Amino acid sequence: MQERSDRRLRVLLAKLGMDTHTVGVTIIGHALREAGMEVIFTGLKQTPEMVAAAAIQEDVDVVGISTLSAGHMRNLPKLARLLREQGAGDKLLLAGGVIPQEDQSFLTEAGVHKIFTMGADTRDIVRYLQDWWAERQASEAA
Amino acid sequence: MNKPITAFTSADDNIAAATERWEAETRGPFVAANPERRDPFTTQALKWPIKPLYTPADLDAAGFDYMKDVGFPGEYPYTRSTKPNGHRSGFWTMTQVTGFGKGEDWAKRARFMLDQGLSGLILEYDLATTNGYDSDDPMVEGEVGRAGMALDSLEDLERAFDLPFDKLNYLMSVCNAPQPVNLAMIIAALEKKGIDPQEFVLHIVNGILIEYTCVGRYIYPPEHGLRIATDAIEYIIRNHPNWAPLSIISAQLQPAKANPVQEIAFSLAICCAYIDATLERGLDIDTVAPYLNHFVVNVDMDFFEGICKLRAFRKCWARLMKERYGATRPEALKIRLMTSPTTIALTLQQPLNNIGRLAIMATACALGGAGENMTTPLHDEAHSLPAEEAIRVGAALQHIVAHETGVAETIDPLAGSYYVETLTKQMEDAAFAEMEKIFAMGGATKAIESGYFQRALGREQYERHKDLEEGRRKWVGVNHLVLAEEKREIEIFRLDDEMEEQQVAKVRELRARRDQSAVEAALERVREAARNGGNLVPVCLEAVKVYATHGELCNAMRDVFGVHAPDSQLAGI
Repeated sequence: MQERSDRRLRVLLAKLGMDTHTVGVTIIGHALREAGMEVIFTGLKQTPEMVAAAAIQEDVDVVGISTLSAGHMRNLPKLARLLREQGAGDKLLLAGGVIPQEDQSFLTEAGVHKIFTMGADTRDIVRYLQDWWAERQASEAA
Repeated sequence: MNKPITAFTSADDNIAAATERWEAETRGPFVAANPERRDPFTTQALKWPIKPLYTPADLDAAGFDYMKDVGFPGEYPYTRSTKPNGHRSGFWTMTQVTGFGKGEDWAKRARFMLDQGLSGLILEYDLATTNGYDSDDPMVEGEVGRAGMALDSLEDLERAFDLPFDKLNYLMSVCNAPQPVNLAMIIAALEKKGIDPQEFVLHIVNGILIEYTCVGRYIYPPEHGLRIATDAIEYIIRNHPNWAPLSIISAQLQPAKANPVQEIAFSLAICCAYIDATLERGLDIDTVAPYLNHFVVNVDMDFFEGICKLRAFRKCWARLMKERYGATRPEALKIRLMTSPTTIALTLQQPLNNIGRLAIMATACALGGAGENMTTPLHDEAHSLPAEEAIRVGAALQHIVAHETGVAETIDPLAGSYYVETLTKQMEDAAFAEMEKIFAMGGATKAIESGYFQRALGREQYERHKDLEEGRRKWVGVNHLVLAEEKREIEIFRLDDEMEEQQVAKVRELRARRDQSAVEAALERVREAARNGGNLVPVCLEAVKVYATHGELCNAMRDVFGVHAPDSQLAGI
């Protein structure tokens, strides 16, 4: 446990399907790395199966999906289910990008822990992750 | 007062001294009492410091020489214009982007746009097509017809080309990764329609190297991507000499936050990679350069960065062709610019403000020498697919700039401005320094393979975003003059399952009725050509005529070339 709490937060960032808009995920990647987190990017054109496998193999704490091409209603619930089925339901699953208000409760019920839509401040995202990580480490130490 | 600019240069020492005096006696005391509203003042993208005043002394300090740096329109180094008479003999071609849905939907939209007075069209395909998949591939579920037209087989293009071709003099097609396949489809569709390929200009973008740099619609590894792009270039030069086989869409580097110097240097270095590959096919520079000199360049809201970038682009191209390749024909030394206001300056919030932004950017394009063609995005594009009213306003906007402002009545009207000439020259010098760096790495393909371009853009994206978050850049509606009650979301285009199902059914039904053994044989010939280095266009042309599908042809090449899958480092994240 001591070893675990000393290490840096590991984040996997991913793009699903044919959505190739990368400016947002690039900015987030830089902001998280600048805040001292380890950032791994899957590359483009991933399937939910590929992202779940990468999350487990890379032993990340957080999986962040950037979505700007409307595939979120299909892809995100599937990814959440695959992570649960493969014993990785404790990883924090985040989504960001273009996700209409009316879709958000469906996605959170399906297992997406937090949604940051376009215009979210990177400093708020960093703070959210730092708080979550502190809480996670405290609960593991207890 | 009306002395030519060269007449000032002899007095530069006096002007420099006089400027110092003005600074000490007049401006200094004023600023002491009235502090400046910004510290420092910088250009928007390059963040270069902007002085309070530019004088002939600045031109002298930059080593400005009118005959060498600016010269005359239609003559080397083409800084003022590539056209001897600017836009006085004719305006630029006025274009808008279109393309979505099934082939017949695109034809309907295209007819409407031609009726609005536009004479050129851009054909954009959906992401399934541009990434090399058929509509029924599980990888592209939900993407069919969303971002552009779905193209599975020759039949889709036959439907799309149900157009009044007499009003159309220019068609641009964007399908970069599988370019030989798409080129073959278009040639075959024109043949089927009985359209004389000499009667209009087909322009393929063929921009795979920019896809690897920032757009992402790639399939094969970069060396193979460049090879198949070169196949399309060589085929067009040898078979359709009135067509255009390449566009360097610097306008894709710009939304990826390339600053003007990176835009000029990266896009020219990328163009050199295509030129070098085409020269290896046994063609000479004076033949090749006039085919590979099409550049699409965005102008952003920093008015002078935009204008100077266009001027510097013309000059950098001319110098590069002359100095690096020894080109001598004027056609080889002249860049062909297509300009456009950038969509990234537009806001989702308070969308009518975007009409103002577009007018300003379109004016900057015109002042920079709009080039062959100007394409205007639409004011509500950030929110949803364009409505007909937005298309009408967008088309009118270009006519307003052209006919009502007078900016196109004389050639390069801002030449000689101390600020404009200083900034133009600074951009040129910085772009050449950056190009030397890229050439030292082994050129653009190597810069892509090592992730150099991608990382440079990633850093710019983050820095420019921080400028906005931390308030160094003010953006009306976003972080300045925000309407608290305004709640506006990007309109998501819900999966039109019915349209997708129809398209999937069509391609499956086609596969069931075509001559399967002819298709198999044609696909095998494509694999063979891919392996042995033969030009892929003729074999793709045979294959599309027996109705091999787009995805099948892309897969045949995947079998030989493999796929490109960059990691974080190479993606610039």
